[in-house]
Amino acid sequence: MRKYLLRRVGYALVTLLGVSVTIFVVMRMLPGDPLVAMFGMEGFAKLTPADRARIMQDLGLSDPLLVQYVHWLRDMVTGSFGKSFFRGESVSAMILHRGPLSAEIGLVAVLISWLVGLPVGILSAFRPNGARDIIARALAILFIAVPGFWLGMLIVLFLLFGFGYKAPLLVVHPWQDPWVNFQIVIGPALVLGLGQGAYIARMSRSCLLEVIVEDYIRTARAKGQREALVVLGHALPNALLPVITLSGILMGFVLGGSVAVEQAFGVPGLGRAMVTAVIERDIIVVQNLVLLYGTIFVLINVLVDLSYAWLDPRIRYR
Amino acid sequence: MAQTRSPRDISRSLTRRVFLKSMSIAGGSAVMTPILARTGWGQELMLKAPEANAKHGGTLRYGVLSAPAHFDVHQSGTVSNMAAQGPMYDNLIRRDPRDGQTIIPDLAQKWDISRDGRTYTFHLRKGVKFHDGADFTAEDVKATFQRIMAPPKGVVIPRTPLFSAVNEVRVLDPHRIEFRLSEPRPTKFMLGAFASGWNIIVRKKTLEENDFNLRNIPNFPGTGPFRHVSRRDKEIWVMEKNPGYWNKTLPYVDRLEVYHLPAFSPELGQALLAGKIDYARLLDPVSARKVKETKGMTSTDFYQSVIQAVWVNMKRKPYADPRIRRAMHLALDRPVLVDVVKDVAPMMVGGFVYPFSEWASPKEEMAKRLGYQQDPKASIQEAKKLLAEAGYPNGLKNVDFLVREIATFKLWAVAIQAMLKENLNIECNLRTVQASAWFDEAQAGNFDIGISAIVSTLMDPSDYFNAWYGKGGPQNYSVWENAKFQELVKQIDHEVDDGKRKGLVRQAEMIFESDPPLLPVAWEKINDGWYDYVKGVNPYKIFGIYDVVRWDTAWLAK
Repeated sequence: MRKYLLRRVGYALVTLLGVSVTIFVVMRMLPGDPLVAMFGMEGFAKLTPADRARIMQDLGLSDPLLVQYVHWLRDMVTGSFGKSFFRGESVSAMILHRGPLSAEIGLVAVLISWLVGLPVGILSAFRPNGARDIIARALAILFIAVPGFWLGMLIVLFLLFGFGYKAPLLVVHPWQDPWVNFQIVIGPALVLGLGQGAYIARMSRSCLLEVIVEDYIRTARAKGQREALVVLGHALPNALLPVITLSGILMGFVLGGSVAVEQAFGVPGLGRAMVTAVIERDIIVVQNLVLLYGTIFVLINVLVDLSYAWLDPRIRYR
Repeated sequence: MAQTRSPRDISRSLTRRVFLKSMSIAGGSAVMTPILARTGWGQELMLKAPEANAKHGGTLRYGVLSAPAHFDVHQSGTVSNMAAQGPMYDNLIRRDPRDGQTIIPDLAQKWDISRDGRTYTFHLRKGVKFHDGADFTAEDVKATFQRIMAPPKGVVIPRTPLFSAVNEVRVLDPHRIEFRLSEPRPTKFMLGAFASGWNIIVRKKTLEENDFNLRNIPNFPGTGPFRHVSRRDKEIWVMEKNPGYWNKTLPYVDRLEVYHLPAFSPELGQALLAGKIDYARLLDPVSARKVKETKGMTSTDFYQSVIQAVWVNMKRKPYADPRIRRAMHLALDRPVLVDVVKDVAPMMVGGFVYPFSEWASPKEEMAKRLGYQQDPKASIQEAKKLLAEAGYPNGLKNVDFLVREIATFKLWAVAIQAMLKENLNIECNLRTVQASAWFDEAQAGNFDIGISAIVSTLMDPSDYFNAWYGKGGPQNYSVWENAKFQELVKQIDHEVDDGKRKGLVRQAEMIFESDPPLLPVAWEKINDGWYDYVKGVNPYKIFGIYDVVRWDTAWLAK
C-alpha cells in the first residue's frame, strides 16, 4: 500500500508539472498585453518603449521564460503565491477570502448529487422500465443536456421577477452568517449538484442492474431478507465502485462548471476571479488558480482510488 | 496786478487738466484691467442639494463597475477608478452636480482670468484639511498640476495634452495660485480642463513619499466629502462622511457603499431591481426599460464622452483615396446600426462632432445630410458613384476587418459587413481579437478597417480634434492627415471668440465629411437607474461619467 501511495504521489506530481507547463505556455501565447489592461488603451499608447520595458521588468515578465517558470514554481512550492499585476493584491489572500465559498459550493454540490442521484438510480434499477424509471431517466437526460449556467440564469431571473429576490452580493462565510451564506451557496450548488446527480443516477442505475442479477442477490432474497437490506446491504456496495470513480471525475466538472455557474449567479468566488483574471491578462492569478484547481482535482482522484481498497476488501494495492 | 485768465484759457486749461486726469485714470485702468478683467464667482458659493427639504443620514448603496487596475486616478481613463475614488477627492473647480454643466467653485472659491487670457489665478479656500489632518495649500495644487502637465518617467496621464499651453505654475501665497499660459486658449476649454473630474487634488507630500506614482496606494488622502473605511477587491468599497469637510452642509448621507457590478451586466440590473442597491450606473437597456416600468423607480439615459467608429487604414491601398472612405461612410445606415445594439448598449446617431454639443450641426441639418438620413437610398447611390469614380465599380475583396472582442462591436461588425457587401460589393473578412490585441494590431497598422471606441475628456473640440483627428494623434488609428484640417485646428485651439470658433469647427466638420478620418458608427449614451427615494441627483444633463461622481448632494428620502 505504501508503495502504491508513493507511486500515485509521483504520478500526481508529474501530472501537476505538466499542468504547470501547459498553463504557463498558454498564458504567454495568448494575445493581449497586461499593460493595456493596466493603463487602458489610451494610456498604453502614451507609454514609451523604455517605460513598457521597465514596467514589464518590474512585473517579472521580461526575464527569459525558463527563469520566469522556475521563479513561479519556487514561489508556489514555498507557499508564496505572488501578487496580482493589478492593485498588487496578494493571490493567497484572494484564495483565502474567496476559496472557502467556492469549496463550499463544490462540496454541497457533491452532497446534493449523491442525495438526489443515488435514490433515483436505486428506484430506477429496482423498477426497470416502469413509470418511475422512465420519468427518472428523462429527468436525468434533461439535467445532463441543459447547460448549468443557463439553468442558473433562469433560476436567478425566476426568483427576481417572481419574488423580487436576489442572493447577497458580497462574500459571507458560514461562520459569519450561516443564513446569508446559505443563500449565496445554495443556487450554484443546486445547479451543479443536479447536473452531477443526473450522471450519478444513470451510472448507479446501470451498475445496480448488473449487480441485481448476480447469484448472491438471488440467494439473499431466497433466504427471505428484506428488500431494503438486499439493496443497501448487498447490491449497493458492489455497485458503488464505478459510481465513486465517476464522482471523482465529476469533481473536475464541478471545478470547471463552477466558473460559469458563479458568473451566472454573480457569486464572488474563485471561479469569477479566474474569469476576471483571464480578461485582464493577470497572468499570475490565472496560473496560480489553474494550478490550484489542478492540484485539487489530482488529490481527489488519488483519494478516490485509495477509497477502493477500503470499500472493496478484495482490492489490495501493491 | 494778477493776470486773470480768459474763459477761453480756463476752458483750455480745464480741457488739458481733464485730459491729463483722464489719461492717468485710463493708464491706471490699462494696468489693472488685464489683471482684474474677468472674475469667476465673486460671491461665496457653498453647494447644497437642490431640494429645500434635503435631510441628512443613511447609507447610499451605489452599483457600478469598480475594479480598478490600479489606484492612481490621474493615470486612469476608466470609470473603475472614478466611480469609487471620486467621492474622496475635490477638484480646483468642478461641474455643478445639479445641472452637470455649469462650472462652479470647489477648492478654489473664485478665479480671475487676465484680459489677454494668459493668466488664470485661483483663490483657494482656507481651513481645508486632507483626510489625514494635513492642511491644504497652494503647494498641493501646484504639485498636482505639475505632475499632470509633466508626468515623471513611467507615469502616464491622459489629460496631459489639455495643459500643453501652461508653461508656469506659481504659488503666490498659501491660498493663491497662478497658471500662466504661453499663449491664450479659449476660456471654455481651459476652465473645462481644470474642472475635469479626473484632475483631483492630491497632497504634495503624498506624491513625494510615493515617488509620484500612486498606482499601488489604495487610500491616499484627499479633501473630499467622503473618506475611506474599507475595501474588498471586486466586491465593495465603503466610505464614510468626512466630518471635517469644508462644506458643513455636505455630504448628506453618512455612508457610501460602492458595489462592484460590471457595466451592462445582468447582475447590475438584478441587484437594482431586487433592492440590493439604491442607484445603478451603466445599466443595460433591458434593465433600464424594466426600471422605467417599475413604480417607485426612475431611469434615464445621458450623453457619454465616447464615439464608436470604424477606422480605415490610410497606409493601405486604396484607402488613402478619400472617395473610397466617403463611399464607405455613406454606405452605413446609422439608424439601423443604433437599433442593432439597442438591447445591449444605448447609442445615438451622430457625425464627427459630439452631436449633442453646441459645436455640432443642428439635428435638422444633420438629418438632411447624406449619410445620416432615415432613408439611405440617396446616400448609397452617391457611395456607388464615388467608388466607381475611384476605379472600383465592382467593389473590393478580402478587406481585413479587425473587430474588438466586445458584444456591441461583434454585432456591428456583422451588420457593417452586410451593409458594405450589399451596397458596395465590398467583401470583408471579420477578425475578432481581444482588446489589447486590437490595439497592438491597430498601432502596427495590421488591418484594413477596424472597429472600436475612443473617449475624450472634454466636449470641447480642442481636446478630441487633436487626439482623434490630428496628425500623429494618439487615437488617430487611421493615420489620417489633412493639411487644411491641421491649419484649421490650430486656429480652433487659439480662437477665443466663441462665434468664430464655431464657424471654424463647422469648416472642420465639412472636411471630415468629404475626407473621413474615420467612419462614425454611433455615439454612446449611459443608462442610470435609481429608486425615487434617492434625491439630489440629476443625471439627465451630465456629460460623461467622469465629472459628476461625488454624491455629495445626494440624500435619501426614507
